[in-house]
Amino acid sequence: MTRADWALINYVSRLLKPDEREAVLGDLLEAGDNAWQGFLGILGLVFRREALLWKNWRPWLAGFGVAFPSSFLLMGASLSVSWSYMRLLCPELLQQASLTRPSATLVLLCQGLLLIGWSWTGGFMVGSLSRRTLWASSLLCYSPCLFCLSRFRVASLSPLCLFLFLLPAIWGVRQGLRIPGIKFSTAIVLAVAVTLLMLPQWNSADQHWWTAPRWTLNWLLIWPAWYLVAMARKSPTTAVRTSTNN
Amino acid sequence: MLGEFEYLLITAAAGLGDNAYGAAIREHIASTTGRKCSIGALYTTIERLETKGLLETWMGDATPQRGGRAKRMVRVTGKGVRAAKDFFDAVTRVSRGASWVIPTRTGSRT
Repeated sequence: MTRADWALINYVSRLLKPDEREAVLGDLLEAGDNAWQGFLGILGLVFRREALLWKNWRPWLAGFGVAFPSSFLLMGASLSVSWSYMRLLCPELLQQASLTRPSATLVLLCQGLLLIGWSWTGGFMVGSLSRRTLWASSLLCYSPCLFCLSRFRVASLSPLCLFLFLLPAIWGVRQGLRIPGIKFSTAIVLAVAVTLLMLPQWNSADQHWWTAPRWTLNWLLIWPAWYLVAMARKSPTTAVRTSTNN
Repeated sequence: MLGEFEYLLITAAAGLGDNAYGAAIREHIASTTGRKCSIGALYTTIERLETKGLLETWMGDATPQRGGRAKRMVRVTGKGVRAAKDFFDAVTRVSRGASWVIPTRTGSRT
């Protein structure tokens, strides 16, 4: 093998775990495989490893059940928070919505807390369910973001307003990866709080029949919170350790 | 029951004894069966068998022949030996009485 071949194989082998990489590179050298065989061999191993992970239901649930649909809805929620903030700054908008400043502040507070709660619980669920397939869940979350960003045409708002949910979501993912689990009491408090916060949003003055379907869809965002409750209840001592291998 | 490749791998590892590691097992399987064994198939099967408790693995010594890289050593467990023996017995039983005469075109239906 030439230096360039070896550099390529070395680079691809970084996709493997350190111990496995050591053994595989040693095997390739010992067997005297050529660069192409070595390259294909390592790619084959990486592909098989990845395919094995997807035999489990957890990465599917994290990616297609939470990350992908939630990112669409959370972008909508981020925009709602941004609008509420704008309304608070502009007295004319406040008057149009026939809201007083304290009630508009309360709406903004509820929406903000709700956004944090939805994003954090969704992120936590994704983090704990798809440890080794997090790259796929991230792609499934970011692709709707790019789609919406390319079609964002609201002059009065910055496109960054779409991504208010990302910070608490990333925080949730990090916690999901780090923390061994959530206690049942914490999980239930979180789920009940998120559910209760949704009620005034549903009945708030600015909800009309044409916004109702969107808010109905938003109820989908609370299922990660209740999933965490169910998992914490399933194993109260170890709390939520939904997956260690995925 | 074991799969065919799992059986080959366990048998190769058992045959190599203390010298069973990735490259040696690959070479053994290729030379005895005439079938090429990919690194991907080898290591994913080793991991699967280890999860089932049929194999044990650990990182061994590095040799200059391997560019100073360590070997992943493999040992067949008691459970692995029993599983391989069961597979061999099943194949032997099912093969008993089988006719290995290659049927000719004209006589194959009679």
